[in-house]
Order: sequence, then structure tokens, then C-alpha cells
Amino acid sequence: MQQFIKLSAWLFSPLLLIFAVPLSETPVPPLPKTHYNFPYKSAGLTREEAAAHLLSRFTFGARPGDVERVAEMGLENWFQQQLEGQLPDDSLELSLQGYDALKMSNEQIVATFPKGGQILRMAVRDGLISKDSVQGADKKDYRAMLAPYLQQKGYKPEAELFRQLINQKILRAALSNNQLKELLTDFWFNHFNVSLTKNDCAQFVLAYERDAIRPHVTGLFETLLLATAHSPAMLTYLDNFSSSGPVAQNEKPAQAGLRQRMMKEMMARAADTSRQAMQQAEKIQKARKAQGLNENYAREIMELHTLGVDGGYTQSDVTQAARVLTGWTIYPIGDYGVAQTMRPVVQRLGEDRLTRQGFVHEGDFLFAANRHDREEKTILGNQFPAGGGYEEGVQLLHILAHHPSTARFICTKLAMRFCSDNPSPALISKMEKTFGEKDGNIGQVLITMACAPEFWSNTALRQKTKSPFELAISSVRALNAKITMPYQLFNWINKMGQKIYYYQAPTGFPDRGQYWINTGSLLNRMNFGLALSSQRIPGISFSLLALNQGHEPESAESALLTYSKLLMPGRDLQETVHRLTPLLNDPELNKKINAAAEQKSMAAPPVNNREGSADSMMEEENKKPKERPSQKGGGKNNFTTMQMQVAPGNNSMLAQVVGIVIGSPEFQRK
Amino acid sequence: MRSRRGFIKSGALALFATGIGGVPTFIARAAQSSKILQPYKKNKIMVCIFQRGAMDGLMAVTPFTDEYLKQARPTLFLSPASGAAKPLIDLDSRFGLHPSMRSFEPLFREKRLAIVHGVGSPNSTRSHFDAQDYMESGTPFNKGTSSGWLNRAVGLLGHEAATPFQAVSISSSLPRSFYGNNPTLAISSLQDFSIQLRGNPLSANMAARSFEELYDQTTDALLNKTGKESFDAVKMLQKTDTRNYQPANGAEYPKTALGNSLRQVAQLIKMDVGLEIAFTESGGWDTHFNQGAENGTFARNVEDLSNSITAFWTDIGAYQDEVDVMTMTEFGRTVRQNGTGGTDHGRGSCMFILGNDVNGGLVHGNMPALAQENLEDGRDVPVTTDFRTVFCEVADRHLNIHNDPVLFPEWKGKAIGVMAANT
Repeated sequence: MQQFIKLSAWLFSPLLLIFAVPLSETPVPPLPKTHYNFPYKSAGLTREEAAAHLLSRFTFGARPGDVERVAEMGLENWFQQQLEGQLPDDSLELSLQGYDALKMSNEQIVATFPKGGQILRMAVRDGLISKDSVQGADKKDYRAMLAPYLQQKGYKPEAELFRQLINQKILRAALSNNQLKELLTDFWFNHFNVSLTKNDCAQFVLAYERDAIRPHVTGLFETLLLATAHSPAMLTYLDNFSSSGPVAQNEKPAQAGLRQRMMKEMMARAADTSRQAMQQAEKIQKARKAQGLNENYAREIMELHTLGVDGGYTQSDVTQAARVLTGWTIYPIGDYGVAQTMRPVVQRLGEDRLTRQGFVHEGDFLFAANRHDREEKTILGNQFPAGGGYEEGVQLLHILAHHPSTARFICTKLAMRFCSDNPSPALISKMEKTFGEKDGNIGQVLITMACAPEFWSNTALRQKTKSPFELAISSVRALNAKITMPYQLFNWINKMGQKIYYYQAPTGFPDRGQYWINTGSLLNRMNFGLALSSQRIPGISFSLLALNQGHEPESAESALLTYSKLLMPGRDLQETVHRLTPLLNDPELNKKINAAAEQKSMAAPPVNNREGSADSMMEEENKKPKERPSQKGGGKNNFTTMQMQVAPGNNSMLAQVVGIVIGSPEFQRK
Repeated sequence: MRSRRGFIKSGALALFATGIGGVPTFIARAAQSSKILQPYKKNKIMVCIFQRGAMDGLMAVTPFTDEYLKQARPTLFLSPASGAAKPLIDLDSRFGLHPSMRSFEPLFREKRLAIVHGVGSPNSTRSHFDAQDYMESGTPFNKGTSSGWLNRAVGLLGHEAATPFQAVSISSSLPRSFYGNNPTLAISSLQDFSIQLRGNPLSANMAARSFEELYDQTTDALLNKTGKESFDAVKMLQKTDTRNYQPANGAEYPKTALGNSLRQVAQLIKMDVGLEIAFTESGGWDTHFNQGAENGTFARNVEDLSNSITAFWTDIGAYQDEVDVMTMTEFGRTVRQNGTGGTDHGRGSCMFILGNDVNGGLVHGNMPALAQENLEDGRDVPVTTDFRTVFCEVADRHLNIHNDPVLFPEWKGKAIGVMAANT
């Protein structure tokens, strides 16, 4: 039985397509020309050591052979290629094929993945269930009751949207050839953090990362800032969508008339007897009431996104910036929740009149002129005369993006992420200079950093601690693992202290070793190494023997030597190897471990997902594959894959040694 | 410090002689030396709960006679009038407890629960990040302070830690309050606290031994130190069945993050593992939008807070004389409700302190009438009590920490009588 379950999981796994379909060959762009040199030789590093350092900082971890490849093609060439981020990613694209949400607009996402409350309301409206029956039922029954309804309507639960979001991040980080792009996407997302913990913002997070962050990660900082400011995710996360100036004060007589007409329309809707329409009207009325200044976004844009907390702004600057940003809201999406607040206005006016009245509509963004505070403002010494509109906000973002405090704040943060937890002032000032001269071009700032001696010095080498996400991804990359259930990795990453996409505060995760490393999380890192290497994380498989060209090490000691080198290329491994060798030299060791492992495999099924069982979404992952289109076909291959998993050479001694290497202090460093 | 390391180290060697999962060696050794185990029972324990996001103190404990407040909060104001569906709980004819906190009422009436209103930081920042950072470092004008106030408190307890569980944070990562050179511990779940290879204890033992060796020798200071602390803690926890814990005295913890955290603190207390300072967190207090009044987001949050604390208090039963619980939040929220049914970042908020040595049954502090001219920056509850005043008094009277300048550098303040007079 157990075998069958395992079998079907493999059978439907999307990754099998990779083996079934020959990869189409997307041409690789020619090597770029570079005009800079990395000063690693003067830091006393060999080309390979330098390549290893470069890879450890600008990828999610080196795959087998990467160090040699980068050393051969030239470190600068590789870096430039990564900055351009145009390498073909066929196998990644293939592994993402089953994820239908990834190409959807916010409008489509909202229509496909309705929120729980909305589903319930619709089911009640359609007479499928009565409201009373729902209240008594427990969650499981409730889900079972709604499942056929969802299927019939083509709806999917919101949790499935989140699962796709999380899985795609893991797959991109593990598989993309454009590693720097993914790394920077992670960095800037964290810098401009939004969170799935906030209900109103959760549905928009996927498009936020895809449209507001990823396309701009090596470009101009100002572009990135503006894209985030326009995005429904940020507008809801920091509440600006609802912020408005005083209504009566800036309302023209024509607008007052409009407002009255809208009220009438709402009353008419309310007179509609259907329950849905009544609730709709209530919602709209509530949202209409929700007017007033909200300075949350204005504060965080200064403190966290641009100037930094010591960047020289005052409470008055915050309040006035909030006034400048009044009316920055969401173009109506769907017909439920906060994102459709502006629909009556938009429908009533139509695009032409919106434009004439000073509204601005760009994608999901709407500047609602009727909510804007038109009085005069002064921010950081800059005057914004009375009567301004949308352009005030754009001007404010321009000022913020070009402020010297912003250059310092952003460069410090980049240096902390990519160079060391305590970057030297000299390095930061070089980067700041580039930031200023190149109009805040992020790629140029990174080049300056990588060309600085500080980046190659002993204060940087191996001095960063991998985040839990980086640890997990670097492990699967180093092992060349196949990932058929990315969500399993997410469960571990969460356990190790980094619940990606769920960090609640706008600060994002603190990016310092001291934050990541504590007693509990450190033990989980070690346990992760052991669970991964013994292939106890379902949906993550690899062949340790294949890593070593099919050679089985003769002893634990030689396994340690060989696999330490394979997993940590370009590192001085003396410490790790020296410490472990005596422990591994116990002549009985191999026998003992194998005996224990055999006993265990007789007593209990080998793949037992206890780690993930607490997470209801995990159950989704195990069931889901049947529904995904990409999992059709490919069935023939699954036997080979399964056999690979239990093939000789993945013996427990070797697995154990590899687990210890992954959990070792050296592997936590980058 | 040195002696503790030596002790643990020899304990570790003995442990590996028997194998993980065998005799809890640390305890065996401790029993042999007999002087270690007993004194724990006399230890005082301080449990701190950080409410992240800034709790609206005016809604938790409302000065309901204040007409200005009533006007400033047309939809958020609650009253103790008996006509209301869920009236405030009238504490003293001036302040009313939010109806969802009714489990606090008996503790207040028994004078075990004290409230301090108008507490906050002298630094007027209204940023969560900063204000939390300042409150946890305990130095409101210095970002560069590397240690947290609770870590310094550990150093001032006046005796060496006999166990790694002297200061424990129930969280997946180390809170700012715990940063510093004294050993502290962060655990998200007691159950996961071991090296695990399911069904294969021998391999787990071998792996544990290898890891310990490697972390003991690494040149990375952070990994080295944390590694040592991790293995010390693993050995301690092996002695009890943390998985099947049954709370005492019929205590029922809410099934929430905070309820679960406090439940684990109670377990540690009852295990007598030498706990003296515990830290937990509670989230969701940043109510800019649709805060709700008698029902809604805020009501659910305070219900969780009060029920979790009350369950904890019931559960620890016989240990009540040893334990104090103190809540804290980075700042309060605007007196006036905002345009989106919520409140924005403000200044003063309130704290709850629970314990048998607390001067309870009172709302301490100084809350003026909330007329605009009395408000800080014309908008917020003025901070009339420095948070350090309260932290310091509780630490002084409950944990016997007297060295204020080390606990809170460059600060001098006088106790306001939150703790009961010496008996």
C-alpha cells in the first residue's frame, strides 16, 4: 500500500516531464564584454577560491562543477552574464508549467482563488449549503462539503495560490540559471516586504513579486520604488489604498453631485432583494466611510524603503508625505473585499472623464483625484504647492530615491547582504558614490562592490551565515537534487526560522547571522542535514553516487573527504575533516549504522512525512498532483526514478556523512 | 562561566558513554553533586510577554469617564453602561477593562494584577522597529547597544547559570531583549529539541557527537557559542515527556501561538530546570484598519492575551509565589480613531503585571484628561511613566537585581509602587 502511494506521487510528479520531453535548446547569449576586474589575486586568492566565493555570494549555492566552470569562463564574464540575467531557463520553465497562477493577472487570481469567506457566501447564495449547517461543522467536513462546488465552479482555495507562490520561489532559487536575478528578487522583496499574514494583501503578493520586483532588480532604484508604490500588495499591506484627504475640503460642487449619485446607486443596489447585492452594498458603504489620512505607508517608505531611520526626516515630513500620497489606490479588482472600493467611481465616470478629472490609471494602480489632499505641503524642505495631483507623489518618490541618506541606506543594506554583516565604511562610501553617479543603478553598485578589495578580504570570506532558505537551497543544489515537492522544503525552512512570505513586519527579515542562529534553529539545521541526506524529505531525491561519478567511497573517512570537497568546493576543509576523522574511524561504525538502518527500515516505512503532517497545505501537495496538467504522461520513467532512490551506494553510512557535512558549521557559512 | 562549561562538558562525555536516549546524564550528575538541583526551587521567575505591533492601551483599559476620548472615537469607544451588549468591566469607576479580558477581573480584584497606564519610551519614535528595538535594548537613545536588557538582567542575577535554561525565549529566533554575552536560549517547541534520525538512535547519537565536536572547534564565534548552548540544552530536556504534557488545575490554554508558548513556559517551570527569565511574543496589535470594538480584531487579541495568561497562572499553581508575568508593547495608539476604523501609531500604552508580590488591584501611572492640549504632539496619550521605571522595579523586587546603571545605562528613575511593599 505504502508503495502504491509512493508510486502515485512519483507518477504524477511534474518534474518527470523533464526526462520525458527532450529540452528545446534555447540559444545561450554570447559572453558579454566587461570593463572591470575583480581584485582577488591581490587578496591572495586563487582563481578557483575566488570563483567559489563569488558563487557563494551571488548564487543560492554552487552546483557540482560550477566553480570550475566560472573559473574557466572568467569571474567577471560570469558576473556580467548574471547581471544581464538573460540565460535560457528551459528546465525551470518546464518545472513551473503546472503552476497556473504564475501567469495570471491580479484580476484572474482574485477570480480563480477566492477567499474562504467569499466562497462560503457564494455557496450559501447558490443554495448549496445553508448558513446554519456551516456554523456547526468542523473544518474538515466543511472542506469536504465545498470541494465539489469549488470544482464545478473552477475555483481553487486560496491556500493553493500560496502553495504555488512558495513552490515557485523554491524552484526558481534551486533551478534558475539566472541566479543573481533570483537572489536580488529575494533581497528586494525583503526590503520592500509585504506579507501573506495580512489578509487584504495576500492575493496580490504573487503578482507583486513577479511584476513590481523581479523585472527591476538590477535596474534603477527609483523604478523599483515606483513599481512597489503602485502595486496593490503594497497599497493594501501598508494601508495607503484607503488613505484620503478631507472629503468636504477638496470636493468641487460637481464632485459633490457625483457622490450623491453614487449614494443613490448604492441605495438602489441595496433595494435589490438578493442577499449578495445587499452585502455588496453594505461593503461599499463601509468602504466609503473608510476615508481619512493613514500615514503608515508614508512612514515606512521613508524609514524602511529609502532614507533609513536616521535619514533625517521628522514626524511632520511623514504626515505631509502621507498627504502627498492620498488618492494612491487600487484600480478595482474583483467584486469582493478592499480592492474593489473604487468601482462605483470608475464605472460612473468612464476612462475619458477619469483622465480629464486628473485620475490616473496604470494597470492595477489608480490615482483617485477625488481622494487627494490638494492643500500645500512641505517635505524635507521641498514645497508642493496647493492644487497638485498625481505628479506630486511621483516627485516625492524621485526626491526620496535620490536623497543621499537613501544612497547610504541602500548601499549599506546591499553590502550587508552580499559582503559582510559589518561592512566597512570605506566600502559603503565607494558604493554610495556609484549610486549617486549612476542615478541609483543597482547593477552598477553591485559591480563597484565586487570590484572592491573589501569584498575579497578576510573580513568577508566565509563571514556570512546562510539564511535557512539559503541553507536549504544550497543543499539541494550541491546535491543536484530533483525537487518534486518543493513545499516539503518550505516546511523545513520555516522550522529553521524563516517562514518565507509570512514575515509580518514591514522591516523584512533581519539579514544578520545573529538573527538566524540560535540554539533551537541550529539544531533544526543539523536535523535538516540528516533528514535530507537520508532522503527522508519526501519529494527531494538525489543520487550520492552519481555525484561522485558512480564511485563508492571505500570508508567513512574517504567519504568524508570526497563529499566535503564536493559539497564545499574551494574551501579549506582541514578543520572539518580533521575533527571528524577520529569519530569515523571506528572500525565497527559502518556495520553498526547499516545494521541500525536495516532494523529501522523493517520496522517502519522509509518515507514517512511526520515533519510536514502538521501543515494542512502539505496534504494539498500530496493530493494535488493529480489535478496538475503537467503530470500527465511520464509514467514510464517513475520506476527508474524509484529504483535510483534505493540504488546501492545511497547507503546509510554515506548518507550520514553527507548529513553531517550539511549540518556542519562550515556549511552554514558562505 | 568557566566552571559551568566544565561541568556541562564532563556531563556531555558521560552522556555519550551511555548514548543519547539513555540515562539523563546531566541530571544524574547534578544529583550526585546535590548542590545543583535544589536551589532552583527557590529561584524567582520573571515571564515577559512582548505585544508586537503596539497595543491600543486606551481600548484595553479605557478611561471611560473621559469625554474627550468618547468624542475622539465615535465608533471605537466602549462604556461600562449596563445597557451595552458587552460593557466594559468597571475597575475603579474611572478605568474599564475591555469585555474580552474578563478572565483578568478576578486577578485584579484579588490584587495580584496591576495595570500601569501611560507607559512608554522617552524617545518619541513611532516606528515599530525602532521602538521595539529601543524597548528591548533598554536604551531608548542608543541604537548601538549590542545587548538586550533581559540578557543584562541574566548577568545581574548574582549567580552563575547552573543550566542552559536560565533564560528561555519561546520563539523560533532570538529576540532583541536576549542579545548579548550571557547564555540564553530560544526554542520554538520543546519537542523538537534533539538531534533526530527517526527510528535510528545509534546514527542519531553518532551524528550528535560529530556535530558537537565540529561546533566546539569552529572558528566562527557565533556558530561556536550557539552550538555549545544547543547541545547543553538538548541534554537537559531529555528527562521528561514534553510531548504528553497535561496542564494542572484544569487550566485551558487558548490554541494560539501565545497560549502554546506560555504552556511551554509552564512546563519548563515545573521541570525545575533552572528557569529564571522567560520571554514570549504576541502579534497582531498594529490595528490601523477596522480595529473593531467589543468584537473584532482587537477583542480577539486581548481575549487571547488574558486567557493565555490566566491559564498559565492557573497551571503553575504551587509556583505562583515564585512567578511574575509582565506584558509590554512598543507604544500606544492615537487617541483619535483614524479614517479607516483603526488607530495609528501613538505614544503611551499600558502594561499588565501579575504576581503575588505585585501591588495589584490598581491602575498605576498618570493619565491626564485627554483634551488636545494634554496630548503629546496634540494627538497621543502622553508618556507619563518611562517603561524602564516599571521594568526596573519588577526586576529589582522580584529578581533582586539592584544594579540599575548596568541594567539601564544612563538612566535614573524612581519606583512608582507597582510592586507590593516589603513584607
